[in-house]
Amino acid sequence: MKHIDAATHTRGESQYIDDVPQPEGMLHAAVFGSPIAHGRLLTIDLDKAREVPGVRTILTADDIPGENQVGALIADEMLLAESTVHFVGEPIALVLAETPATAHKAAQMISVETEALPVITDPRVAFEKGEIIGATRTFVLGDVDQAWKDCDVVVEGSCEIAGQEHLYLETQRARAVPREDGCLQIYASTQSPYAVQKGVARILGLPHHKVEVDVKRLGGGFGGKEDQATHWACLAALGAQITGKAIELVLPRHQDMVMTGKRHPYSSDYKIGLKQDGKIVAYEARHYQNAGAAADLSPAILERTLFHSTNAYFIPNVRAFAASCRTNLPPNTAFRGFGGPQGMFVIESAITKAAETLEVTREEIQLKNLLQDHDIFPYGQQVHDANIRRTWQEAEKSFKLKNLQKRIREFNDNHFEKKKGFAIMPICFGISFTATFLNQAGALVHVYTDGSVSVSTGGVEMGQGLITNLAKIAATAFGIDEARVKVETTNTTRVANMSPSAASATTDLNGNATLAAASEILQRLKSFAVKELNLSHPERLTIEKETLLFEGKETGWTWQKLVQSAYFNRVDLSAHGFYATPGVWFNKDKEKGHPFAYHVFGTAAFEVTVDCLRGTYEIDKTKIVHDLGRPMNELIDRGQIEGGLAQGLGWMTLEELKFDDQGRYLSNSLASYKVPDVFFMPDDLEIKLLENVNNTWGPYGTKAVGEPPLMYGIGVFFALQDAMRAFRPEMPLTFDTPMTPEKVLMQLHRDEIEGFKTDSDVMADHQEQPVKETE
Amino acid sequence: MNVCVTVNGKVYERVVEPRLLLSDFLRHELNLTGTHVGCEQGVCGACTVLLNGDPVRSCLIFAVQAHEQEIMTVEGLAPAGTDKLHPLQEAFRDAHGLQCGFCTPGFLLTLLPFIEENPNPTEQEIREALSGNLCRCTGYQNIVKAVKLAVETAERGE
Repeated sequence: MKHIDAATHTRGESQYIDDVPQPEGMLHAAVFGSPIAHGRLLTIDLDKAREVPGVRTILTADDIPGENQVGALIADEMLLAESTVHFVGEPIALVLAETPATAHKAAQMISVETEALPVITDPRVAFEKGEIIGATRTFVLGDVDQAWKDCDVVVEGSCEIAGQEHLYLETQRARAVPREDGCLQIYASTQSPYAVQKGVARILGLPHHKVEVDVKRLGGGFGGKEDQATHWACLAALGAQITGKAIELVLPRHQDMVMTGKRHPYSSDYKIGLKQDGKIVAYEARHYQNAGAAADLSPAILERTLFHSTNAYFIPNVRAFAASCRTNLPPNTAFRGFGGPQGMFVIESAITKAAETLEVTREEIQLKNLLQDHDIFPYGQQVHDANIRRTWQEAEKSFKLKNLQKRIREFNDNHFEKKKGFAIMPICFGISFTATFLNQAGALVHVYTDGSVSVSTGGVEMGQGLITNLAKIAATAFGIDEARVKVETTNTTRVANMSPSAASATTDLNGNATLAAASEILQRLKSFAVKELNLSHPERLTIEKETLLFEGKETGWTWQKLVQSAYFNRVDLSAHGFYATPGVWFNKDKEKGHPFAYHVFGTAAFEVTVDCLRGTYEIDKTKIVHDLGRPMNELIDRGQIEGGLAQGLGWMTLEELKFDDQGRYLSNSLASYKVPDVFFMPDDLEIKLLENVNNTWGPYGTKAVGEPPLMYGIGVFFALQDAMRAFRPEMPLTFDTPMTPEKVLMQLHRDEIEGFKTDSDVMADHQEQPVKETE
Repeated sequence: MNVCVTVNGKVYERVVEPRLLLSDFLRHELNLTGTHVGCEQGVCGACTVLLNGDPVRSCLIFAVQAHEQEIMTVEGLAPAGTDKLHPLQEAFRDAHGLQCGFCTPGFLLTLLPFIEENPNPTEQEIREALSGNLCRCTGYQNIVKAVKLAVETAERGE
């Protein structure tokens, strides 16, 4: 089945929020944000801005009728700043004007008086000063302190892991439309309609049922619109409530980059102990998460760092500590992988360092320690269907990795300035929200008398193909043509209390809820049909290709006749389905439980070529074996694997967030923040799906696919390092991401570069020389 | 200022501010919202339209610069008045060269003159043609495949 929106997408007819014709008299909003990263807000001067023709009103924190609070996990983030500002770009005022241009022009004329307070940008500094959000967390397995004694070799070190800009092509936006009796209708580009509904209700002091949130589609989300779409929808809603007019707020790209949080940078320490044969005996990690100025989802993200701190390996003795550290950067937030990738980068770094010390390859240690069925994770869950070894072996076999490595060695023996590198990256990613209560979903299914079907769920389409999957799930369940199924907008009045579209679990949860609803309608239809057809055993009725069969034989009834007859006999053709993932739980006091329904596994291999004189590089090959279970829409799922990989590669290589020590964001546009383009992607990218696998948790045996492939990208860092080591074997290993070409050059030629004279040195030399001559 | 343009074969005349961007003009004055604005500075290519047949970034030029010229937007790609798609659109659908769809119109309009001028492009040429457009959802592989598919379809004369 093709992407259900393919025709409207390619015709330019797919509607994003601001493509919908605007209501009469709609006003446009612009945000004024803090110019400094930390300080007291003394005065706000709105006078000049108010005089701009076309400005209707300007709102500040004083205008908020409800609670000035958008912190979802911890109430530590105001919608509009009151007495203190905590990061550059923190919203202070909202201008409402007749056109977007007027609103932005006026916002630029707002000024504030502030009294600067100390700015923290480094999570370790924040930790030392006690700026910690929520509780620190420690996962323990076995006894690390005892285990070091049993190790033949123990190595330690640290990692600096960069954040990442989401760079959804559609920036944050929302439209709020006032309705009768104090109700509001919100159209938001959000992964979490219920978060917007709750957020708006809180800000305006309304019950949830007065706020309706409707989402058609997102122009990309990647986690950046899970929690942080709420702010902009709340601001639009505030404007609508106060002016009685529809309000649209579209963040310009620059503001979107400055004002919204990103993937969390981490600063981490590791210590790993192994036997001489490469068996890992003990592992300790300490993660300092740069949370930014407010909690946002950071504590939950921190938790997933710990869940994935041992990646796809079994280690009998583990102690993993993590702290969420408050700094004066924009509050960092969810991003595909949700803290897992950072935890996995650290263990991969530790293995790399250990391989150097043991004088073996990374792959030897990786393979020796891969998970096997019934191994225990540090959080107490046993692994089942541990397909990791299968994906590794399949990759070795199908892609002839041993030959590839041999060819790489030969290439390196015969080339001086160009060197090739190789790395394998196995991944293991847990599927379920780690906050157990979120693992629930509702679906509302209607069958109309013409046989067409309408499906509403809490899942949001953001390009991942969710609604295509849901249409296929419903069509398969009813035994009808996919064209009969329409998946509706995601709307809080049709499905209540929905979980965000996140954690890779959207198709699992909403697909299973859709199946539950469809199954209820089918039961009613079958009970009705057996009576009408003078049969018994409704369970022996099936529908295939829109034909009603009894024990496989035709009954003479079509789907359409079945539905119409049922309607005239007053059979309910609508149902609400509910699904709650069974068996998942976690005890935070003990840090043990069974948080994941299952795990996704896969193995990727990389070949890269580094120009060791220039620092530039190419990713020549990426070969992946991925476990998708039994995919419903293979084309769409492969798209997820490729897209996730692209983001992972970008995170590890090109995408460099730059803040100065005053918390000002320097890489604040696409001119200064580089994401992968078509040339950057490997020319030779091959993805094989693991065959003969099933998954009892996903609808029809599918496996979640959204996040896991991103973590393949981690492998490219180590492949680049491998190539650099081929050129300069004595180069010290550092684990500092992203590995930009600039960093490659600096690491390869540190001594020479540090000896180089800068332009100003040369100028100074020139000025000195004449003096010497006169002597 | 007065601006008179032909967009997708239809003549439009409007009075606009001199500094109104072509992208905003298309979206807000003509309600042709298939042209999407991504980065607002000419890097991402999402807002690409054809000006006299050549791809341009509509966020980088003023509406008045298009005065008395011909523009084609994504809305003009499919045969008018039918449910049919242009072969390039079909190829993007069939090769799954799209996900969220936001960048898609810009890719299509970049590719339209490219395919017409290069009926037999190499993979390298395809990648070069695509290198000025960013997609954050896909890994570009299926976009490259879509171009190949469109070229093959055109070769077969379909």
